[in-house]
Parts: sequence; C-alpha cells; structure tokens
Amino acid sequence: MAEERYNRKNPAVKRILQEVKEMQSNPSDDFMSLPLEENIFEWQFAIRGPADSEFEGGIYHGRIQLPSEYPFKPPSFMLLTPNGRFETQTKICLSISNHHPEHWQPSWSVRTALVALIAFMPTSPNGALGSLDYTKDERRVLAIKSREAAPKFGSTERQRLIDEIHEYMLSKAPPVPQVSTSQSPEDQAAKSEDEVQENAVNTVAEETQEELPEGPAPAEDSITEEVQPREVPPPAVTSVQLQQTHPAPSATLQQTSPVVPRQADDRLFTWAAVGLTIAIVFLLLKKFMKANGHSAFFMDES
Amino acid sequence: MQSNPDARVDNADAESNLTSVEVSLIDDWQNFRDDDVMQQQSDIQAVESEKIPFVGDKEPLSSLADEYKTGSPILLEKIKILNEQYAAIRRTRGDGNCFFRSFMFAYLEHIMESQDKAEADRIKANVEQCRLTLQKLGYTEFTFEDFFALFLEQLDDVIQGSDASISHDELVQRSRDQSVSDYVVMFFRFVTSSEVQKRSDFFEPFIQGLTSASVQQFCKTAVEPMGEESDHVHITALSDALGVPIRVVYLDRSSCDNGSVSVNHHDFAPAGNDQPSAQNGSLEAISPFITLLYRPGHYDILYSK
Repeated sequence: MAEERYNRKNPAVKRILQEVKEMQSNPSDDFMSLPLEENIFEWQFAIRGPADSEFEGGIYHGRIQLPSEYPFKPPSFMLLTPNGRFETQTKICLSISNHHPEHWQPSWSVRTALVALIAFMPTSPNGALGSLDYTKDERRVLAIKSREAAPKFGSTERQRLIDEIHEYMLSKAPPVPQVSTSQSPEDQAAKSEDEVQENAVNTVAEETQEELPEGPAPAEDSITEEVQPREVPPPAVTSVQLQQTHPAPSATLQQTSPVVPRQADDRLFTWAAVGLTIAIVFLLLKKFMKANGHSAFFMDES
Repeated sequence: MQSNPDARVDNADAESNLTSVEVSLIDDWQNFRDDDVMQQQSDIQAVESEKIPFVGDKEPLSSLADEYKTGSPILLEKIKILNEQYAAIRRTRGDGNCFFRSFMFAYLEHIMESQDKAEADRIKANVEQCRLTLQKLGYTEFTFEDFFALFLEQLDDVIQGSDASISHDELVQRSRDQSVSDYVVMFFRFVTSSEVQKRSDFFEPFIQGLTSASVQQFCKTAVEPMGEESDHVHITALSDALGVPIRVVYLDRSSCDNGSVSVNHHDFAPAGNDQPSAQNGSLEAISPFITLLYRPGHYDILYSK
C-alpha cells in the first residue's frame, strides 16, 4: 500500500503493515478493514451483522484509529452506520477498545477486535457507555437500510474506501432475511469456527455458523463491555464490570417474542416423540397379546 | 513466597500525597465515572514515571541507605548487611514492568561484559522454543514476531566485533528508549506467557494461590498486558523458559523472632526444559549472574562486589 511513505523502522508502522497484509491475504466474509492510503493509523471497516440476530444482513461501517504506541495501546472504534446497538460517531466502550487500555494486549489485532465487535452486536448493552437498546424491529429496519448505501463520511479518499468496502461486503453478504418468527437468539457459545455460508433465511438456527476469532481465542474469555448505568448509581457499583460471556440472551422484553416459538417447537417435538413411543409400545404389546391368545383383552369383537 | 504481612516499606510519602487530593473532587463521587478514575490514574502514573527513567544510573548502595535514613531500623540494618556483598544498585521505573525491565538490562549487560557467545547462542535456542510454543498455542505470528526480532537484535548488538555492536552507553540509552525498552519487556512477557501455558499443570496451583483465574486467563490478564506486576510465577516461568537463574534479594521489615536480622534471598534456578520443574530454594550448584533487589512491589538491579 503506502509502504514507501512510512518509516518501516518504526515498530508501530511495521506491525500495522503486517496486519494490512494479513487482512488482505485472509479475507473474511464477516468483515473488511483497510487503512487510508494517506494515513495507515486511520482505518475504515465494515462488519456484517451476525447471523440469527436482528442485525443479520446489515452492513455496518465504522472507523478505527490506531494510536502511535500501537500495539501497546488499543485501537479505538467508532461506528458510522446507524445500527441500534452502538451510538454512531462515539467511541465504542469495549475492553478491546481504548476505553479500557489496561485490558488490551499486544497479541490482539484489528482482526481480533472486529470479530469481538461482531460478537457483541447481539448482546444486551446493560447500559454500557455509547450503547443503544433499540427494539429488534427497529434494529431490523436499520439493518435493511444499512445495505442501501454506505455512510457519507470524511474526505473523498476516505469515501472512496468506504464505498469500496461497501461493495465488497455487499458481494459477500447474504440477502436480508424476511421478517420471520422462526429466528431466535442463537446460543453462540456453541458455534463452530466455520465461515458463514452464503445462506438465505435460515430457519434451522443451529446450522448457521459464524467465524470465531483466530489466534488465542481472546474474544471469548476476556473481552468485555463496560457496564455503567447512566442513572445516578450507588458509588459502589460504578466500577463493576460485567464479564459478558457469549451472548446469553437475557429475557428482555423485545427478546421474548422470538424465543417463545422456538420453545414451543421444541415442546411439540418432545410430545410427538412421546406419542410415537407410546403408540409403538401399544402396537407391540397388542401383537404380543394376540400371539398369546389374549387378544380379546384388546379387541372385544375378535 | 512474598508473604510478609508486616513488610511494607515506608509509605509515609505516598500517604501524605493522597491527603492533598482536592476534597471537592471526592465530594463529587456521583459524577465521577470510570473514565475519570482511569484518567486520574494514568495522570498519576505519568507524573510518577517521569521521576525516574525506565532504567536508572548505577548508584552506590549508600543511596539506598539514604532513602531510609529516618525509616525502619530493621531496613537500615539489612542495608548494612547488603553492603557487605553488594556494591551498587540500578533503579528501574516502578511502572509494573520493573521485573522484566530489570531482567532485560541485567541480562544484556551481563552478555556485554562477559562476551559470552555460548550463553547468547544457548538463549537463542530457548527463544526459538518459545516461538514454537506460541505458534502451537495458536498465537498469530505477526502479533509477537516484532518483539522477538527486537530482542534478538539487542542480543546480537551487545556482542562486540560486528558493525552493529553497541557501547555500554548505547545499551543504557536503548533501555531508556520506549520503542526498544517496551518491546523487549513485551518480548519477555510473551516468553513468560508461553512457558506458563506450556506447563500449565505445573503452574496451575501457584496461579490458584494468587487468583481464582484459570491459567489462560492469568496469562491474558496478569502476564501479557503491559504494566501488570510480576510475581514468583512470572519469575519462575521466565527463568525456566530462558534457562537463566535469577537471584532475588528481599529487603523488607521482616526479622527473626529473636530479633536478629538477616537478608533473605531466593534463587530461581531454571528447571530443565524436558523435566518437570522440581527446583526450589537455593541450590549450591548455580550461581545466578542476575541479582535483583526486591522491595515489596518493586524490583531493582543489584551489583555484587
């Protein structure tokens, strides 16, 4: 890219160029990120809304700023596309971002951070700074809208990059799901490392898989979102951090409706299985009795 | 190991600073958010860190005695005992990286002064092992290779006789230059983390004695992030991984029941790479060329007479 313009001896520059190279040689369908040509400390990115969430099909753009002390200090992330989960043009408050420099570690990368960001989309914000708690329907509307056009932001050069990333993401993105009742918050802790398939509306939730972070799986165990109730809290709780493990869907109001049909489905299957078993046992028993001349017990007329 | 409940070095200075914090700020807790706390914390750190370079100058041990002139008589007594064996001290910045920073300087200075090429080659082989371990653990190469390269470069440069060779002054300068010093510290953090994870069965009980975290969590929260302080787990792991013995001399206010005062030390003798680590206590066989002075919460470099 702009390698000759930078001092390759500068360790931060060297590292960032490595990451650019790695990002280009291992493209993902879930995200895309590139630095501006004029400044490799300024990146643009887009992430795809995670499957089986109200963000599915959405393409969310944002910017990343890498500090000059990178990778000792964390990058900061800011979304540009309205999404209903994170405020736009506000630094995102995750432990991977510069709101929590004490948690950042140099073995993470822009890629790690983006994977974590995707994983955080469907989690409950719990009042974290810079978070929004829109309803699922509102978020779906924003997801559909997000595909129409890339956000307008910054210089023409940056805009060109945003548009280029948008084209790429569109080419990889599955179609927007129809509003369907069968969607349910996936238990993402169990998802495998496979890439997302180019899938249409996927009614069988279990089959949809999402890419997990590479490397020492940092997203799962240590990346957290800061929880800070904005109502005046008792002083004791202000520094409480919620260790959000993977989206354990809390039963907030807007989440209950999609959960119910799934549970109903499950119950239906269980009853069907129980019914079938009873029928089979009955038939076997009947046959056995008949063979032993006790058929009258079951069938009076014979 | 470091359980000296009464072993607090005089904190009078720090406490008097605390009381001078503006009272109005404290009254305003409800509007005092995490951000502000962190901002204040990093401000304090910034002020503190400017008081002393990453690696200080070599000072005679008497400067240590001066520090405690009005302090505990036990400490003064111990410093007197230290005086018999040690000539000088080199302080490091108390930024949470002091153990790794002390180790870095002491090791490179030792190689520079001894010109021990065999030792340099030996440690390089161990470094390659750590690289393989990290790869096996699933670390992305580009996230650690720069740190490895920078350490190996320093190691080559302290060996004299090549174009890149550096003087002792240059070594001091580099150790104070953040873009070298922090990279080498981070290199040691990676080495430590790889060793702890590689021998997680061995380290697990020690880690559980410190925190309730799993081995991996411990590495992610207490080893790899810069500024996280080192404990005996870190020292053992680094010493084992690189095969470098380390002597830690303890300067604290502990004393024997009968009132006699002695200075304790602990030698971290590297366990063989293939055998389970059974090392403990001071072994006669090894003579560590790295001696660190531990005062609760901080490590500096000690120089023998």
